[in-house]
Amino acid sequence: MNCARRLARITIRGFAPYATVTARESAKCLNPYGSGVQTLRAFHAGFGHLKDQSVSRGDGHPRHEGSLVTHDSLFEQAAVEARTKAMFNRVLEVFVRKDIRRRGHVEFIYAALRKMPEFGVERDITVYNKLLDVFPKEVFVPRNFIQRMFNHYPRQQECAVQLLEQMENYGILPNVETKVLLVQIFGEKSHPMRKYQRLMYWFPKFKHTNPYPVPQDLPQDPLDLARLSLTRVAADPDACVTVYQMPSTDVSETIVADVSLPYVVGIQSPEQRSLLAKHNASRPVFVEGPFPLWLRKTCVYYYVLRADPVPPEEKVQEPVDPERSFFYPLELDLDLERDLGDDDSFDVDEVEEGPIFAMCMASRGDQATLAKWIAGLQQTNPVLGRAPTLFRLESVSREIQRAGESEPGAEPGLEEEPPHRQAMKQ
Amino acid sequence: MASILARTLKNYNGKCFLAHSLLSCPVICGSRTSFYGEYRRAGQPRDNSPPWKKIRFSFAKGVEGVQKHFGLLKEEILGRWVGPQGRPLKEHMLEQTRVQWDFRGPDSLKQWIVSSDQEIGGRSEVYLELSKNISTCLVHGTLCSTPPRDGETRYSGYCTLCSRRLLSSFDRKKHIDWTSFNTLHLRIRGDGRPWMINIATETYFSHQKNDMYNYFLYTRGGPYWQDVKIPFSKFFLSSRGRIQDNQHPIWLDKVNTIAFTLADKADGPFQLEIDFIGVCNDRAHTEDFAYELYKRNPEV
Repeated sequence: MNCARRLARITIRGFAPYATVTARESAKCLNPYGSGVQTLRAFHAGFGHLKDQSVSRGDGHPRHEGSLVTHDSLFEQAAVEARTKAMFNRVLEVFVRKDIRRRGHVEFIYAALRKMPEFGVERDITVYNKLLDVFPKEVFVPRNFIQRMFNHYPRQQECAVQLLEQMENYGILPNVETKVLLVQIFGEKSHPMRKYQRLMYWFPKFKHTNPYPVPQDLPQDPLDLARLSLTRVAADPDACVTVYQMPSTDVSETIVADVSLPYVVGIQSPEQRSLLAKHNASRPVFVEGPFPLWLRKTCVYYYVLRADPVPPEEKVQEPVDPERSFFYPLELDLDLERDLGDDDSFDVDEVEEGPIFAMCMASRGDQATLAKWIAGLQQTNPVLGRAPTLFRLESVSREIQRAGESEPGAEPGLEEEPPHRQAMKQ
Repeated sequence: MASILARTLKNYNGKCFLAHSLLSCPVICGSRTSFYGEYRRAGQPRDNSPPWKKIRFSFAKGVEGVQKHFGLLKEEILGRWVGPQGRPLKEHMLEQTRVQWDFRGPDSLKQWIVSSDQEIGGRSEVYLELSKNISTCLVHGTLCSTPPRDGETRYSGYCTLCSRRLLSSFDRKKHIDWTSFNTLHLRIRGDGRPWMINIATETYFSHQKNDMYNYFLYTRGGPYWQDVKIPFSKFFLSSRGRIQDNQHPIWLDKVNTIAFTLADKADGPFQLEIDFIGVCNDRAHTEDFAYELYKRNPEV
């Protein structure tokens, strides 16, 4: 509680030139034990008189020293005001200034590590360095070979290792300042130093291993997010993204409820377009979905326009146009004897799956929204006007698919198994 | 009956094969207990039942076991006449690719085990089944990274698909030899989540039983299949989930299992489809080991 009071006092100092009233209120809510008068007196006395305060503190306040009070309360009181990086740093400053011996710093660091995601500073290297700075310097450095041989100050070393482990889990690379701090605190060959060295060895090695990288901060605009995920899914640089419907919210006068138009963004590559042009119009095409796609911790859903696999009797081998390339032959009919050692193909049956014609993302997964996508696709793919379109949307309970579950044109159970909902659209 | 118990007890800790008994019904104990006990988690009740309670005598099981094991033995003996490992010598020497696991039919799922953090008290769920076109396997479920409230577990949230280790007749160990290949080839379709591939090899000392070689498997997501080639030189050694300081290239002569682990801390549903898992010989890849080794602590 001692440091809590001091935190309140610093809060007052920080805010005093601007608004004394708010400072007084914040001091009240931060300091449940002290009276407002007392904190105000501290405010008038300034920061230099802290020692007198600690002497005069004994007047009837419940003191928690010696009991099992964690340092969470310090952060919780700070969280009442604001959960920001500045507030977190201020809590650290309060703790550091409280006691020159930094008594209870291990518990404080564990509490701070737990509270970091709450304050939104879990991916900030400067905050981690500041937290390491709480450790007293040069106390835990082993001075002779016996101390070096045995685990010198094991609790403190474990605590620092756990701090580094939390950095590792959030993917933060330590910097030189971390190293200097660790050397000052624990010495050259301590366990935290070893952990630091391991992090510095392995992190850069695995930094760029992902062949499909996702940006750390995803775009906030749903259209940009849809564009990003569709280009990722399509895996074709030629594919072009089309926005079929912009999101908009209209408050109309006649109807009470506002009508919000969902966005529909689709992607189609030229190859998919030529596949769709060759599609037999008597066979249906399916709109399937929603399929999940994970971009780090966010999940988006996309829909696919596809057909059943082409039956073998309908497959036609199109002859390759010999004039497509003048520089080298596209077909060679040579009867070359291939040795077994030259065979690099896998002895496995091909998976028969239907061709995929287009993909889209929509903010609402009902049939009316997806029909707009199909209608937009018809302008470039006239086959869709002739071929029947079946909607096979899985009825999973998702917040994206909240409205329009029962469509007037929906005829459930045409020829599909019960979990699929489908309807005919012509 | 007492003699049955005595003989079963005597054979219980090893690969037990009891050819006949007083009832003249052959009993084959398929249970393989490990030499060292499993770690008992906090709050888990102690298993105090005597070992003979765990043995289930069944005539049908005995007959089935005899058929299976003698069938395997027959295959093994007759395969020697064809060539090494039951394949012609030319194929054995010249093969450049090998499909180690594929999923063509429901029987192929018997070679795989799924597990999740429910074993340590977590709440993830994982299921393994064949996908709609009966020729690929689909691992799906839900990941939940809330750690169990047992006071000692700090992290949770994983799901694993692990292959069973191969056993030849009479439950003898059988290893996969991949020394003539240098690349792992997978055909997968995921949902954008990163997975991890764990390869466990046979080890000599019992303290190495948790050693695994790992690498990452990144999925693109989307409706298209994805061919992934991972050179074996990129696999790094870890034990109990921690990367080790002393690294060495993976020893491919005695591979036991391969596993796929998902633990990316993103709570929610996941799915991964696997078409086949094979190995190939990429002649353009000449790297032995991807990680340089520093001298530790100038000399340890």
